[in-house]
Amino acid sequence: MKRVQFTINGDLYEREIHEHRTLLHVLREEIGLTGTKEGCGAGECGACTIIMNGVPINACLVLAVEADGTEIETVEGESKSGRLSPVQEAFDRHHAVQCGFCTPGMLMTIKDLLQRYPKPSREQIIEGIEGNFCRCTGYEQIIEAVLDATGQLEEKGEIKHA
Amino acid sequence: MLEQIPAAELRYVGKRTPRIDAKEKLTGQATYVSDMVLSGMLYARVKTSPHARARIVSINTEKARKLPGVRAVVIGEELDYRVGLYVVDKAILARNEVRHYGEAVAAVAADSIEIAQKAVDLIDVEYEVLKPVLHPLDALKDDAPLVHPNLGEYDYMEAAFTPKPGTNIANHTKLRKGDVEKAFEEAEWTIEREYTNPSVQHVPMETHVAIVKWGYDDEVTIWSSAQSPFTLRNLFCTAFRLPHRNVRVIVPHVGGGFGGKAGIGIEPLVAVLSKKAGGAPVKLTATREQEFSLLPCRSQLTYRIKTGVSKDGKILGQKMTMYWDSGAYADYAVNVTRASGYSAGGPYEIPNAQVDAYTIYTNKPFGTAYRGFGHVEFHWGLERHMDLIARAIGMDPLEFRKRNALREGSTSLTGEKIRANTGSILKCLEAAESAVGYGTLTEAEKARQEKTGMKIGKAVVGLHKAPAMPPFTATAVILRMNEDSTVTATLSLTDYGQGTYTSIAQMIAERLGFPIQKVKIAFESDTDHDPYDWQTVASKGLLLSGNAAILAAEDLLKNAYEIAAQALRCQVVDLDHDAEKIFIRHHPESSVTFRQLAIGYCYPNGNSIGGPLIGVGRYIAQGLTHLDKDTGQGLPALDWTYGAHGMIVEVDEHTGEYNVLKVASVFDVGKVINPDAVRGQAIGGMLQGLGTATCEGYIYDQEGHLLNPSFTDNKIPTAKDLPLEVESISVETPQIDGPYGARGVGEHSMIAVAAALGNALQNATGAQITHMPLRFEDVWRAIQRREPVDNWITKSPYGSCRSAPEVQRHQQQEC
Amino acid sequence: MTHEFSYHAPGSLDEALALLSEYGEKAAVLSGGTDLLVNIRAGLSRPEYVIDIKKIPELKALSYDPEDGLHIGACVTVNELLEYEPIAESFAVLYAAGAELATHQLRHRATPVGNIVTASPCGDMSSPLLCLEAEVVIVSQNSTRRVALREFITGVKTTVLAPTEIVKEIFVPPTYAGAQAGYQKLKRIKGHDLGVVAVALVKHNGSFRIGINSAAPTPLLLPDFAAGTPVEEVQKAAAKAISPIDDVRCTKEYRAFMVGVYIERLMKEVGA
Ligand code: FES
Ligand code: FES
Repeated sequence: MKRVQFTINGDLYEREIHEHRTLLHVLREEIGLTGTKEGCGAGECGACTIIMNGVPINACLVLAVEADGTEIETVEGESKSGRLSPVQEAFDRHHAVQCGFCTPGMLMTIKDLLQRYPKPSREQIIEGIEGNFCRCTGYEQIIEAVLDATGQLEEKGEIKHA
Repeated sequence: MLEQIPAAELRYVGKRTPRIDAKEKLTGQATYVSDMVLSGMLYARVKTSPHARARIVSINTEKARKLPGVRAVVIGEELDYRVGLYVVDKAILARNEVRHYGEAVAAVAADSIEIAQKAVDLIDVEYEVLKPVLHPLDALKDDAPLVHPNLGEYDYMEAAFTPKPGTNIANHTKLRKGDVEKAFEEAEWTIEREYTNPSVQHVPMETHVAIVKWGYDDEVTIWSSAQSPFTLRNLFCTAFRLPHRNVRVIVPHVGGGFGGKAGIGIEPLVAVLSKKAGGAPVKLTATREQEFSLLPCRSQLTYRIKTGVSKDGKILGQKMTMYWDSGAYADYAVNVTRASGYSAGGPYEIPNAQVDAYTIYTNKPFGTAYRGFGHVEFHWGLERHMDLIARAIGMDPLEFRKRNALREGSTSLTGEKIRANTGSILKCLEAAESAVGYGTLTEAEKARQEKTGMKIGKAVVGLHKAPAMPPFTATAVILRMNEDSTVTATLSLTDYGQGTYTSIAQMIAERLGFPIQKVKIAFESDTDHDPYDWQTVASKGLLLSGNAAILAAEDLLKNAYEIAAQALRCQVVDLDHDAEKIFIRHHPESSVTFRQLAIGYCYPNGNSIGGPLIGVGRYIAQGLTHLDKDTGQGLPALDWTYGAHGMIVEVDEHTGEYNVLKVASVFDVGKVINPDAVRGQAIGGMLQGLGTATCEGYIYDQEGHLLNPSFTDNKIPTAKDLPLEVESISVETPQIDGPYGARGVGEHSMIAVAAALGNALQNATGAQITHMPLRFEDVWRAIQRREPVDNWITKSPYGSCRSAPEVQRHQQQEC
Repeated sequence: MTHEFSYHAPGSLDEALALLSEYGEKAAVLSGGTDLLVNIRAGLSRPEYVIDIKKIPELKALSYDPEDGLHIGACVTVNELLEYEPIAESFAVLYAAGAELATHQLRHRATPVGNIVTASPCGDMSSPLLCLEAEVVIVSQNSTRRVALREFITGVKTTVLAPTEIVKEIFVPPTYAGAQAGYQKLKRIKGHDLGVVAVALVKHNGSFRIGINSAAPTPLLLPDFAAGTPVEEVQKAAAKAISPIDDVRCTKEYRAFMVGVYIERLMKEVGA
């Protein structure tokens, strides 16, 4: 067991943790922040994406002890003000959420993407979210939501009638 | 019939409406079973079989039981229960014999996941490895080992299925229409081909997970990431011989299902662990790897089609033989067989038809329901076949489809009359045709070919599917008015991402005339609190539960009007209402608010009438029949949703590499209730279909070991795999008995995508591929006319890797 | 992880090496963790001690000097490498291969050194670094040695590294700085995937060289070709050098074929 301290979404946490446990495990089961999900535990799906010290990482492949002293951002921080972030609002408008299991990781990936490219092109969005599997949406409405959140969506994705 | 209102007057139905569950999910606050922790909860792990077929000589659990923190260890021998959806053929843990790689042989519940895993590692199982039967066609041979020697003793649903004891046949579905042999004699051409697809995995992002608490007096509570709370309860009670009242199933948010979470899964295993641990709640979360082999997959299919065609390109007769690889247990595969059997001809008129569809046991992970319920698999063959016929007879493939498309006056394979209001496959085909500019290349496309050196090909395919369900499929919705006149609906159809709840909220708001903000659909399903629904499968939810919701809204209004009439001292016929109140039509100032009526109306002097306002809506499928077991004739279809995909691909003829440039998906949905939800289903399902078309599939070695049970070697599409352009188009031929004219579309988007790809690739290069998936290498081989790869289940007589030992060694060593 | 171990995060190289010499085979070195933690989870690796070397300042070193060459410390992540300007400017082949390695998230943890130490035939960094004649700087308690990368990897996931040693850095000589180069990788999907087969090409001073991944037990470097060597000749030499296998990812036939295709494409692209 090791005592660690980290900041999550601006709040300081101190915990006595098992050294072999992943940050994902500790976030979800010991701290109770279950917004971040586990889809594979092996760094392939991106469901566990969080931001640690300013960069997005797969929390399933980080030991919690490694996070000692870091600043962590998770989906729970996105609406801490009591309002959805612009990206969350756009996700809502565009049905970019279906089962919602990939959503928290996807949002954190996009948060980082927008820090790197405030107005990402469609290609940059696709490149950016490549590490996050979504089995439900087919990604299109997620891409549109990001374009919309950054003021770049010309035509709304209306359904076409034959 | 239910609520056909001119579009102009609709306020919510057909209008863009955000999902009612989106905010909860976007903030990370939605609770899934995988997020849940109960006090005193134990963690479970499972010991699985490393062999495809083996006799269990002994299991030694002593070391595991002695490990501190271990609260329960179970093995098959001590569990005298059998579970099964249609054929009751599965033990909770393997007894005496393991029948597939990855099958559960023992399980542990402990204080922590670490201890549970350690205990599992300490369990010693001695096996006598037996020769497995892996390919369904091998399993049909006389000398094939029997996967279930006791098949004759199992219970099964007799009205629908026909197992053959003494063989590996779990079911044989037959259909006979007209005289197919005579049709072949009259035909100008007969064309016969075989098409195959491998097993694939659903890959919901949330793996299967359940918490079970087996309480005192056999009161059992199950929290599960499941699609069908009531069917789960029913199967659970049957297996454990418990009264239904004893068992409560709770389903909170579910992280995707796609059919893989229908029926019953790991719950019985978790239940026996809880029971043995003295009633402590036990949680089992499948690992991603277990998702591929402990839990079921989609069946492999070998589909043989022989078609007789007249001189003018009309199908005269068709003989269809399906070999469905059930894997070790029958589960849903028998019903996939049945449902595919009766629609095996696709959206085309086939005057003389013969279908023989077999569900065959093999020693592989078992098959279950998967989005499309067999139709994704057989449309691969069928829609490839349509192209190959057209090419063989020198006709344009789309023209051939149109000529044979079902239309008003046609009869389906089961003898059902197709009517104008059934829907229009022709309109779907035509919309897809124009969306991809079928038959020609635009100037831009020609320029692109010049620039890239790749060849562009196009294809249009058709599809159809009806819900595969019993003729008595039923559901109910209860609508309660809250004190402030908002309403809360409860139902046990689950929304695991499809968005049906939002559509139902729109319909309730529409029918009540309330703003949608006043309508809540309770998300968690609970068999103790919610009314019955059969299952959330088959794309039937919107139609059946939508109708029930409308009926519930009407019932609530009727009850409200009755009390209002007393309060206002008038007749019900003179009443009308708006979002706030019920009033007398000719004296609108004489009114009573819903808020006054919500829990019962109270007169000024305190006398009260009514009571809490509740509306109940019940709906059961109308006019369906069982199918005749010898001829397959009858009425199985609640509704038919027709659809088409148009696809454009570019291919490097030298290497087989290709890019999907565009997919346009068209469905006759009857009526669009929620445009974004339809679009989400259309595109999401299309990409899932494209995944199985391009890269997904189980690969086994000669011993039946699954070689790719993880994301390392079973890829699914990423955002980069989305076609450059995707389009979703809706045709609206109202479904007369559908809510506001709607019919289901959840599964259809995945159907026939693979065939569109295969056909477009052939259109571009001439590559003739009849097996899936279509990896670059497969395309390259087809163009080069080389033998297809032997290491795919679909090609090899043993369903395996030629170089199995090397592969295994390589697998262990490689990243 | 369900496998338990104890965690150490030494603040200096000496401390780390002392731990390693004490624990030997029972210890595993953790840097990015994208292979180690995956292997522990899968039960393929069961260390009792995990030695995290990220707190050791000198292992974070990343520097380039046209005279001295490129130093990539053991804890430099792939993304840090990609963001380091001299890489895109002077080591195009590293840039191209690094950008193809796994996902953006993973590249924030994965390290080029880890990629080499794992020594998987499909490691994206290996054939590019072979082309650049990289050296591996290995330290132990009482010695430092430099091993040419070509000798460092000895087989499928095996290297010359002893359990008591740590790779301190990869050194890339300035020889090929500024060389035109390219990297082509066969994947099963367009999204992230390991290399089913991959080819790197570096052009330099009237000749060019080719490295190949996933086509033999170890990454390969072909002998230099003079500029203007016909494609067929290069393809033939490659075909002779490789020994691909059939596996669930691909057949040896297609692997061999695609090596030829990539050689042709890269020669065209780079103008070899
Ligand atoms: S759970 Fe971390 S990448 Fe899948
Ligand atoms: S919404 Fe279900 S996985 Fe993305």
